[in-house]
Amino acid sequence: MEVQVSKGFLLFAQNTKAVDYITQAYALALSIKQSQKDITSVSLITNDPVPKKYQKVFDQIIPIPWTTDTTSTLAGEHRWKLYHVTPYEETMVLDTDMLLLEDISCWWEYCSNYDFKFCSRIKNYKQEVVNDTYHRKAFIANNLTNPYFALHYFKKNSPAYEFYKVLEFICNNWEWAYDKFASDEYQNWLSMDLAAAIAIEITGTHEHAVDSVSPLEFVHMKTPIQGWSPIPVSWQDTVPYVLNTKGELIVGNIKQSKLFHYVEKNFMTKKILNKLEDLNNGS
Amino acid sequence: MTIGAILFAQNNTTVDYIKLAVFAARRIINHLDIPVSIITDNTQWLVNHYPDHPFDTIIEIPIDTTPQQKYFNDGSLASQKLDWKNKSRSSVYDLTPYDRTLVLDSDYIISSNILKPALHNSHDFQIYKNSFDLASWRTTNEFKRINQYSIPFYWATAFVFNKSEIMQCFFDLVTYIKSNWLYFRNLYNIEHSVFRNDFAFSIAIHIMNGKTNGEFAVDLPGTMSYVIDKDILVDIIDDKIHVLIEKQNHPGEYILSKTQGIDLHVMNKLSLSRFIDGGTGV
Repeated sequence: MEVQVSKGFLLFAQNTKAVDYITQAYALALSIKQSQKDITSVSLITNDPVPKKYQKVFDQIIPIPWTTDTTSTLAGEHRWKLYHVTPYEETMVLDTDMLLLEDISCWWEYCSNYDFKFCSRIKNYKQEVVNDTYHRKAFIANNLTNPYFALHYFKKNSPAYEFYKVLEFICNNWEWAYDKFASDEYQNWLSMDLAAAIAIEITGTHEHAVDSVSPLEFVHMKTPIQGWSPIPVSWQDTVPYVLNTKGELIVGNIKQSKLFHYVEKNFMTKKILNKLEDLNNGS
Repeated sequence: MTIGAILFAQNNTTVDYIKLAVFAARRIINHLDIPVSIITDNTQWLVNHYPDHPFDTIIEIPIDTTPQQKYFNDGSLASQKLDWKNKSRSSVYDLTPYDRTLVLDSDYIISSNILKPALHNSHDFQIYKNSFDLASWRTTNEFKRINQYSIPFYWATAFVFNKSEIMQCFFDLVTYIKSNWLYFRNLYNIEHSVFRNDFAFSIAIHIMNGKTNGEFAVDLPGTMSYVIDKDILVDIIDDKIHVLIEKQNHPGEYILSKTQGIDLHVMNKLSLSRFIDGGTGV
């Protein structure tokens, strides 16, 4: 008899004065409900108030446990807690400034063979696989793997627990860890991507955590990796885009596939949000 | 299933495309062993000037009374503005007498049998996306994407297609894009105002692929090699082609280059024409 395990998406949101991450999480949850065939459960980890209208798209809203004052720019020191609070047996973690545009059942299927798996491949909106040497100098200089914390999967089991314990240690001692494992092209802030890369290095789980044939990937809209010269400040000012009534996101006349990481916070306008709500209401 | 090649030839006041097509057709027959037909707006010129032409069928089309104009370079120092009648390409679906058709520009010089496998497989549509400029110093970005913000570039210079429902859709779409060129040009952020089949084909392929990467168009075998019209053809002897490639930062100076057994798109039609007339294109 096949045992059904609970599977779902986990989002972490911590509003700042400049960015409403809760609204981003709501938009992403709407896109998940709209695009996914089987696994549509979404939970949100936050200590910020969630408007009533937003609450219905989340299966659970979970407070951030063991909170302390945030010092890093990306609130990274809380993200190691994801493992400990997830309500699912199998969890897919996504950054909130993303939209899921197509069904990713095959990703779940692939990841189910592993205890945890990080995305290590990104594309630009032209659907070209990008080797990001612009933002990933520390990874390259220190021969680290190339994980993207913005999209990763884990199971509730011992290997994943062990990994997250190491990640906790790195997050809480990131200056030490960077000195030890990422001293070249030193980054002076806690980045979850770099912390994950160091955790992979320490645990020796390279092949397990990232692999080149993994289907996990997303479109990353940071402007330096779009193949443009000169590099503009904003992709939204550079190429036209539209979210159409079929839920397809067309950027520069190119249909975006699967997972879209829009990066620029002002992308999530009322218009886009309304469109996502309409799509969810079937109108 | 009938298999054959089609060449388009619509002369202007200076370039005798029909002459180029006669030359190209003989090489197609020689290397690919298939019949070749010509689509032209001047059958009389063909019959009168090239009575021993090798064409299987001559397909007459009306004269384009509103041709576009563009500059035709003849090396890096000379150019002239001439008529450019390129709007009939999408009619090839209806005009071809073959079930499977290889369409080539009349300045595409076949020197190998590399395209032979493409004539005998099951793909509905094969076309070149990847290309190689013999001048290695030149930037080739304009032949990778239609611009840096947009979609992949395909060459309408050489393609193979089947008579099939999906290909009829494709050519209808190219015709639609051509009819609404101003709209599509703006939509795809294309700088040049002149209509180009390469752009229309690229847009149509993109749409047929559902506006994303897809498999509607399969790559033709190999990579399409080319020299632009700022280069000068010297001669073509059997499967060897000599070309003067313009030098970087030295207009009017050239480097001699030789290919052997490689199909070559020779964009300098004026030097190709001189070669056919007198044995040298210089």
